[in-house]
Amino acid sequence: MAAAMELRCWGGDWGLPSVHTDSLVVLAYAKFSGAKLSVSPVDWTWKTLTASVPELVCGDTVVQEPTQILNFLRKQRFNADYELTARQGADTMAYIALLEEKLRPALLHTFWVDAENYSNLTRPWFASRSPFPLNFFIPSRLANVALTRILVTRGEGLLHRISEVEGKIYSDAKECLNLLSYRLGTADYFFDNSPTSLDAFAFGFLAPLHKADLASSPLQSHLRQLDNLTRFCDNILAAHFSPDKPRKIAARSGLLPPVQETMDANLQKLTQLVNKESNLIEKMDDNLRSSPQHKPHRTEPKPSLSSSKNSTPA
Amino acid sequence: QFLLADRFHLKSTAAEPWPENATLYQPLMDDQILLSDHASSLSVQAYLRMCGLPIQVVCRYNAEYMSPSGKIPFIHVGNQVVSELGPVVQFTKAKGHSLSDSLDDVQRAEMKAYMELVYNMLLTSELFVQWCDDATAGEISRPRYSSPYSWPLGNILAYQKQWEVRRKMNAIGWGGKTLEQVQVYEDVNQCCQALSQRLGTQPYFFNKQATELDALVFGHLFTILTTRLTSTELAERVKSYSNLLSFCRRIEQTYFEDKKLMKD
Repeated sequence: MAAAMELRCWGGDWGLPSVHTDSLVVLAYAKFSGAKLSVSPVDWTWKTLTASVPELVCGDTVVQEPTQILNFLRKQRFNADYELTARQGADTMAYIALLEEKLRPALLHTFWVDAENYSNLTRPWFASRSPFPLNFFIPSRLANVALTRILVTRGEGLLHRISEVEGKIYSDAKECLNLLSYRLGTADYFFDNSPTSLDAFAFGFLAPLHKADLASSPLQSHLRQLDNLTRFCDNILAAHFSPDKPRKIAARSGLLPPVQETMDANLQKLTQLVNKESNLIEKMDDNLRSSPQHKPHRTEPKPSLSSSKNSTPA
Repeated sequence: QFLLADRFHLKSTAAEPWPENATLYQPLMDDQILLSDHASSLSVQAYLRMCGLPIQVVCRYNAEYMSPSGKIPFIHVGNQVVSELGPVVQFTKAKGHSLSDSLDDVQRAEMKAYMELVYNMLLTSELFVQWCDDATAGEISRPRYSSPYSWPLGNILAYQKQWEVRRKMNAIGWGGKTLEQVQVYEDVNQCCQALSQRLGTQPYFFNKQATELDALVFGHLFTILTTRLTSTELAERVKSYSNLLSFCRRIEQTYFEDKKLMKD
């Protein structure tokens, strides 16, 4: 077997093995594929400043970024996607791209840019996990990175202002959650009955949003309405990350199996909500952009006052 | 009062039929347009042709600045201006034309996921190859981008655009890569492999019917295949998948038979 592998990542809280999305993805995949990783959290070390998290160290090789780490694990014969067909493998890539493009900006915004959440939850957490004197500037550095990423990838034109893109990224994220929910349906995992890399990515993105104690988050309340996604997260936590012996997923009889119709009705309602929101945003955008020369031909409904005036006999 | 006029405006948008003089604006074909912009423009053109909506293509050197979002292409329909494929699809849907209505929810989720895959991998790789590879940027991208302008304005604009794109690549973690690190071409290969496997032997991605995903994939793949860059590696990666090649040929023959698509 390969040399011992060590993963450096942020520590855990709120019932999760790690609060950092990318670290969670790697941890979940390691559990799914049976890879033994020794987890060394970077909390309270100077690695919070120097290391790029998450990072896998195996002998002499150092691998960074979740996709690279997963590739490396696969090469070491820890493959959770072994039983997927070629088509399912392609679907995996597509859904991961969907998560990265649509959900990540909103997650970054919820945790790092939204003023209330940042000052009440994120900054204290990361500051308390960083050694002195790094706790003064690590959280703000991470917040800057997050803000830049959102603006540069979603901002339009040279006038990058966060307020303009906020509405759009949240409605995209809600749509993404709806699509995930449709795809998951009533199953335990996205493909058949065993977890794969797509499940790892989905878990990494969804679990912090589900479990964190956020003061104000429309995205979190949207996620809470999607029962199958929250159940998905809880299942994985119970089966793979609980301190006692992992229970078999088959013992699901304790939970009430969701009725397909109510779930569909729920999803329909949420889809309509998202569509209405995006219509509203489009209207606002249109108003901002409508050029002054092209006034729309509005047949102004004559105010009733004048018509009543006309009707009054002279 | 403001809201009332607003609602009226939106309703009138939906009610107006598609006019005959709808136009699509893009940069100059022969000298100025770049790979990624041409791909996006071709995607929108393909989509509109699939919907059966007439559109005239007009080339303007300042198309990028006229666009409401700064991105190419944009269409001018009636008194509305809409840019990029996503908003164009929504706009035509408001007018009652849609290609993906017959898909069920799971299929629609898949379609959106694959479209994001193209944006995430193919478009990002195209931008990287154009602007972050010094050879390509110096020989092709900057000269083309600055061609309509006189010196030194052209230089300034080209370097500004390059700076912007490199900043974006840094933000998503592609900053330190070079083409020699092969990661970029490997990503293109994986993306094409995924698309090829999804397409299989079907005529379109969702069997019998063309959707916006087909338009998007066609736009990007066709442009990659027919654009000359400093090296042919990008095109080679696409060519190794024969069903993608025949897919492009089929769409070109079905929807573009009246138009000369090849760019010199």
